[in-house]
Amino acid sequence: MQKNPYVPIPVDIAKITTEVDTKDIKTFRFTFVNKEDEENFKYLPGQFGELSILGKGESPIGIASSPTQKGYVEFTVQKAGVVTSTLHSLEEGARMGIRGPLGNSWPLDYLEGKNIVIVGGGFAFTTLRSLLNYMIHEDNRKRFGEITVVYGARNPGLLIYKDELKEWEKRDDVNTFITVDKGDEGWKGREGFVPTVCKEVAPSSKNAVTVICGPPIMIRFTLPVFFELGFSKENIYTSLEMRMKCGIGKCGRCNVGEKYVCKDGPVFSLAQLDQLTPEY
Amino acid sequence: MEKRLIAKDALAGIIKKLSEKMVVYAPVKDEDNICFRVLEKGQEPLVNYANTKNAPKNFFFPQTETMMRYMRTERGMELKSAEAEDVPEALLFGARPCDVRSFVLLDNVFDQDEYQDPYYIDKRKKTTIVSLACVTPPYSTCFCTSVGGHPMSSEGADVLLTDLGGNYLAEFLTPKGEALLSQIGDLAAADEGAAAAKEELVKKSESEIKSKVAGSEIKPWLDENFEHPFWDTIHKSCLACGTCTYLCPTCHCFDISDQVKGADGKRIRAWDSCMYWLFTIETSGHNPRTSQKQRWRQRLLHKFRYFVDNFGAIACVGCGRGVLYWPVNIDIRKDVNDISKL
Repeated sequence: MQKNPYVPIPVDIAKITTEVDTKDIKTFRFTFVNKEDEENFKYLPGQFGELSILGKGESPIGIASSPTQKGYVEFTVQKAGVVTSTLHSLEEGARMGIRGPLGNSWPLDYLEGKNIVIVGGGFAFTTLRSLLNYMIHEDNRKRFGEITVVYGARNPGLLIYKDELKEWEKRDDVNTFITVDKGDEGWKGREGFVPTVCKEVAPSSKNAVTVICGPPIMIRFTLPVFFELGFSKENIYTSLEMRMKCGIGKCGRCNVGEKYVCKDGPVFSLAQLDQLTPEY
Repeated sequence: MEKRLIAKDALAGIIKKLSEKMVVYAPVKDEDNICFRVLEKGQEPLVNYANTKNAPKNFFFPQTETMMRYMRTERGMELKSAEAEDVPEALLFGARPCDVRSFVLLDNVFDQDEYQDPYYIDKRKKTTIVSLACVTPPYSTCFCTSVGGHPMSSEGADVLLTDLGGNYLAEFLTPKGEALLSQIGDLAAADEGAAAAKEELVKKSESEIKSKVAGSEIKPWLDENFEHPFWDTIHKSCLACGTCTYLCPTCHCFDISDQVKGADGKRIRAWDSCMYWLFTIETSGHNPRTSQKQRWRQRLLHKFRYFVDNFGAIACVGCGRGVLYWPVNIDIRKDVNDISKL
């Protein structure tokens, strides 16, 4: 019989980065206690893991690092419930567990050779960051066409991955558009909502795929912009969230129709979502 | 396959004797109910009964179960064990064909190629199943023939016992069943007359299941009508008590939680129910199923649509427990038949 899929892989917290001014979103870098676990943890952008703290429970979180970053795996976590609050109270060096990688990934084979538009809002840029860092890695960059990134947050203090944002902006092979709903005194960048910026940027839908994650309200107003630009539902991908426990399609709570978000998702195209029951 | 005869009055004694050598789960009288229990030393199982109040799924998928144990150390909680605990070689005696079939359906969930559930599989592998065919249907609420079963089906059984009047015809169907035969010892061989008598009963018992449900006919309607006024009606008397999911042989949803006492902790799983509001609520407060209507629809669709899509079978075995024990007289047979007329 295969390995027990419920047993967490032991990891150590190697680095904690506080991402936002409100201090409730942190990125945790984990290193594997056992070398063989590190080698077996083969993941793709878009997959998630169950962050597991014995005595507290587990929380399903998207993987924020790219598989091109070797030796560790990163998760960006908002402090919300029992597990994530405990995690936020831990310090570098603490030991805990991860189950995964779980779920499907962004459709890398399908994205290959296409122009990619990445749209993110607020905290929901984690698996998009994984995808972006994967695509711009020197081994992969030529496999993808033009890359456009539109990323926004309510205010400058709530933008995550601030250092990387600057680096992406500097690159000439990524069109980066960072925006905030409202700037502050020190903000010299763009102001405006994500849908508006997408409209201004107006990426061509020709041979292009949009990958979008964000708060529901942002997605609701952004999708019409992309339909207007000629993107079909087959060429818009997003990632769903649901309450989960097992993460492997058995405990029965994260289904949308006959699909389990944990096992068949979390990544779906809008065309695929149209086939499912309207229940998320 | 070995076919033997067991004298009717000898069966309970044979099982009692086996219970001295191995763990035996069997139907016994428990206050006013007939329930599956572990036979105590010297206890005889019931052999004449309709069906048990509880489904025997808890022997493979216990209501609560320890998944792993851990201990507080200087480095935090350290994992101590993560195996299914105290799993004996066991005999499940007297399960009705509908309940036995539920294990075949549950195997689809717990024993997938991609992710295998070691806790379920371990118990399943170590248990031999002796099924007692329903020569006469136990209840008027039985509807196994409408959902892919048969009152005398051997699907999932290692041994099938058929009451031929004076004797049971005992069919040892699998290697596990044959191993059990060697434990029992000498039994008279069954002649062709016994096989012929059984064939007669197969036809007779099928014709005696009078309760008919349009189980497989409603799938096309369910595929098309996630939104429909019908869904505004059937949940209204539902108390969200969860009795249906607890008694159901095929309901398999569970919760995972942690329990810590002093330095010792364990991660456990416990049956959960899609009938509960808490089942789907997210940390953010968002809940994709806020109303009992949505939860009721989920349960019916899971059984008659989603499970069919995923595994090619209806996730209902027609045991009738829901119909019998639902506290507010909800009747899944009526609901399914009402849908078939829409």
